[in-house]
Amino acid sequence: MCDTCGCGRPGEFKVHDPSHSDNHEHKHYHDPEHLHDNEHDHWHDHSHMHEHDHNHYHDHDSHQKRVIDLNIDILSENNNLAKLNRRFFEGRKVLCLNLVSSPGSGKTTILEKTIVAMKDKKKLYVIEGDQQTQLDARRIEKAGASAIQINTGSGCHLDARMVESAVEKLDVEANSILFIENVGNLVCPAMFDLGENKRVVVISVTEGDDKPLKYPYMFQSSHLCLINKSDLMPWVDFKTEETIRNASSINPSLEFITLSAKTGEGMDLWFKWLDKQAEFVISR
Amino acid sequence: MHELTLAMEVIRIAGNEADKIMAKSILEIDIEVGDLSGVEPDAFKSALELLSKDSVLNEARINIMRSSGKGRCKSCDFEFEMNNLMATCPKCQAFPSEISGGREFRVLSLVIE
Repeated sequence: MCDTCGCGRPGEFKVHDPSHSDNHEHKHYHDPEHLHDNEHDHWHDHSHMHEHDHNHYHDHDSHQKRVIDLNIDILSENNNLAKLNRRFFEGRKVLCLNLVSSPGSGKTTILEKTIVAMKDKKKLYVIEGDQQTQLDARRIEKAGASAIQINTGSGCHLDARMVESAVEKLDVEANSILFIENVGNLVCPAMFDLGENKRVVVISVTEGDDKPLKYPYMFQSSHLCLINKSDLMPWVDFKTEETIRNASSINPSLEFITLSAKTGEGMDLWFKWLDKQAEFVISR
Repeated sequence: MHELTLAMEVIRIAGNEADKIMAKSILEIDIEVGDLSGVEPDAFKSALELLSKDSVLNEARINIMRSSGKGRCKSCDFEFEMNNLMATCPKCQAFPSEISGGREFRVLSLVIE
């Protein structure tokens, strides 16, 4: 097993609905093949979407040793499932956002404050990704949104399959917003498309302004960067302009909003951005 | 870090393809890892070797082929070798550049019997 971040054997995750008792609501998926066979047969129906060349067989010697040319993108299964998720969201005109960050940047607090401010005018849902516990999903439900907790076990990121399972349980209404709070990790989630409309990377001022340079893949694949905990700015050496310059050198089209979920400073800009994105999804 | 998940996916792909043609065993697998793919080749190879022991790749030699990163300058269209995502154009020093190669991460081929 990976001793860098504690990744375990993938394919073992649990989906929890905090509004139901633990006894009968857990789905335990221990093997991706079992999931395909028993839970989601329709995934196999989409195998025609695989975007790789047909196999080409040719003999290289007389001992029946053969070379098979494949050219199969290793992420194609996840990418195809993400496409199906995206198509589902488009069909229902749901704005889906994937929130990524290192642990402790304040993603859950941002979501709590967002739910309290917006729940009367918009139906909001949250998929919570953590290695263990249902703590975050409970916080979200308390704030007033429907939540599903995915425990990745020893896994270090969410993937499109986990999101598909969670969305099935949430029964997301049309014209709503679905937030996916990914596992706190700036490395692994960057590679996995979940089918979101936009990716939002959160950093807090207690982190270094060189973070975008250290974790370029995440900043390159994001659309918006929230710089959180601005209320702590007087006590830390964080330089906002330097951070923006660093992140823009990797991704020139990245947008930025500086805010404090705790004091509410800058949150109006975030709400406006959300309204704009939701309107765009509905008008398409 | 996500290399274990990716290694599992490679084993699944190899198993599917070997099943399709009823291969007795897989002797070799060639995998391309681009320098800008976000995959760390050594960690990925270690993960795949670790997980291969109980899999269809049990006897397979794992060959990792690196492909270098390439960028195309958005200002002057010059194509150059790109080692990281922040690279500026070596010809006109402009930024940004479009990644034109090095994101590949795929199973190229199997040798089976």
